[in-house]
Amino acid sequence: MIDLARVLDAFRAATDCEASVWTQPNPNAPPSLGAGTANAPTVHHFPSVADGEQTIATPAGDALVAAVPGPRRAWLALGPCTSQSIALRACMTFLLPVVGQYLQSALEVEHAANELAERYEEINLLYTISEILGRTVALDEAARTILSEVSETVGARRGSVLVFDRATNSLHPVAALGAPLADVHPISADDACSVSARAFRAQHLVLAEDGEMLCPEEAQYRRGAMLSVPIMWTAPAPRGAEPLGVVNLSDRRSGQSFTAGDQKLIAAIATQIGTAIQNTRLVRASVEQQRLAHEMQLAHELQMKLLPDDDIVAPEAIVAARVVPAESVGGDFYNLFRLSGGRTGVMIGDVSGHGYQAALIMALSMSASAIHAQSTTDPGEMLASLVGTMREELATTEMFISAFYAVIDPAANQMHFANTGHPHAFMLPHGQEFERLAATDPPLGMDERPPLTARRGWSAGRDLLVLFTDGVTDARNPAGERLGEEKVLQTIRAHRDEDPREILEHVVAVLDEHTEDAPRRDDLTMVLVRS
Amino acid sequence: MSFSIKKDGEVVVVDVEGQLIVGNRQELKQKVLDELERGEKKFLIDFSQTGYIDSSGLGVLVSLSKKIREQGGELRLANLNDDLKTLFELTKLDTLFQIADTRERALQSF
Repeated sequence: MIDLARVLDAFRAATDCEASVWTQPNPNAPPSLGAGTANAPTVHHFPSVADGEQTIATPAGDALVAAVPGPRRAWLALGPCTSQSIALRACMTFLLPVVGQYLQSALEVEHAANELAERYEEINLLYTISEILGRTVALDEAARTILSEVSETVGARRGSVLVFDRATNSLHPVAALGAPLADVHPISADDACSVSARAFRAQHLVLAEDGEMLCPEEAQYRRGAMLSVPIMWTAPAPRGAEPLGVVNLSDRRSGQSFTAGDQKLIAAIATQIGTAIQNTRLVRASVEQQRLAHEMQLAHELQMKLLPDDDIVAPEAIVAARVVPAESVGGDFYNLFRLSGGRTGVMIGDVSGHGYQAALIMALSMSASAIHAQSTTDPGEMLASLVGTMREELATTEMFISAFYAVIDPAANQMHFANTGHPHAFMLPHGQEFERLAATDPPLGMDERPPLTARRGWSAGRDLLVLFTDGVTDARNPAGERLGEEKVLQTIRAHRDEDPREILEHVVAVLDEHTEDAPRRDDLTMVLVRS
Repeated sequence: MSFSIKKDGEVVVVDVEGQLIVGNRQELKQKVLDELERGEKKFLIDFSQTGYIDSSGLGVLVSLSKKIREQGGELRLANLNDDLKTLFELTKLDTLFQIADTRERALQSF
């Protein structure tokens, strides 16, 4: 009230009268001096506005006191004066509105300052929340911090953040204030009495007054009126806005209801929480996807490791083999066995289907065939033992294996083989045409009968055994046309005298040229053997 | 890709349009098993409108053939195109099924 003191001093200088202003900010305490001239007397009597001006006696002479009109409780006291000629009443009439106007202005300034401070707090809150959300992907932690910050700003002692769970169609607590989180129960999104469920369904804030919409599940974080604001997230069109949960606040320190400003502020924060929830979900999904891709890669590497090196049967046999799974893992495989008497066992297999199940059957076939190949050199017997080991797995998974198994005996110039449903097995005898080594039985797992063994003459070091799966012949170009068996045989025929490893490269080049960048639909395997 | 089922006398006739592959084999299986459950015994699958059967499609045919046999029923196949005929021959699947050139012959064979 420095400015007011100057006015009063100027008044005194002009009139030789004392002047003072008394105010009563707290109705329970007596009025106190707000501003006054040096020798202004202490006032003990404070009339109301209706009482008008009243004369009081002071040791130095009479003074005049009147209540200042306006929202603030204040009084103006004039006198005593050293000069008797001053008309105090006229001075009062002049000065009272001036002081009233001054006090009114001061009050407005004070309100504006308070308002500014509140806005500052809100802006500060928004900054804090942005910062919390920016540095964390742990939703529970963020929700807890945000709830305590926002409660502090709007003066709420209780509250909660609930997030919608689609699987159970309910709102699950992720943060609670005024109650332990463990004691807060989920609420069905269809709940009729819950304020949270209603705000969630309506996608609009709900202010339930004291005693209204009382729901036992919300009792833990509600005292008196409760404000429930939906957490909204706006997805790109055409999905648009969808509610993800609710923020609840209750039990205001001031005992007053939530203002329109509070509601606006909480709605703005709820939108930020919505974005954070969605971010958290996307990050989680992305991490999960990366993990899956990594596991698929590991499975692929593991499967490739199961396949034998081409040189494990060297120098008796020169082998070129390759498997390319359509997915990360597949059901195609080949196996090579070094057998007694310089013999070599060569197997190719195609488990029906793709993916993990086919890969598991493939792995089982690999290990079982390695065991059975050592116990018999008769290919039909070996495949019969193999299917004996796996019959149950094949029956329960409804899978089957088309397999070809040959035992080449260069010393005896013979090759024995059994073919259970493998469509592409050929022998290219030196200087002659391809001979198809046709299936003698249906695929393993389809038939109960033991596979038959067939026999061919074999010219050591000159004849070529050619095995491939239907992934090779069925490989499509971007126009959808199959490569076809003849194209593969033609390529091999053209390079028949080269090393099997070189022949394989020629076939792969033809295959790549045909498919260009068209996606592979089937696993693709090829084995070439000279022994 | 779709399957249509109709009754011709005592025989349930299934037409496979397009392909019989990993993506639709379960649908075929379920449709045939539903009929089997209703007490049907004679089944004919007609492939006149089928271009391609992959290995899992073949698996379903074998599995259906077994299940139908277990219930005392019969399954016949008809109208395999040249590619499919070759596939059945190469894999020796022709030894597991009764295959007819035309629908009429298949129906007569029951």
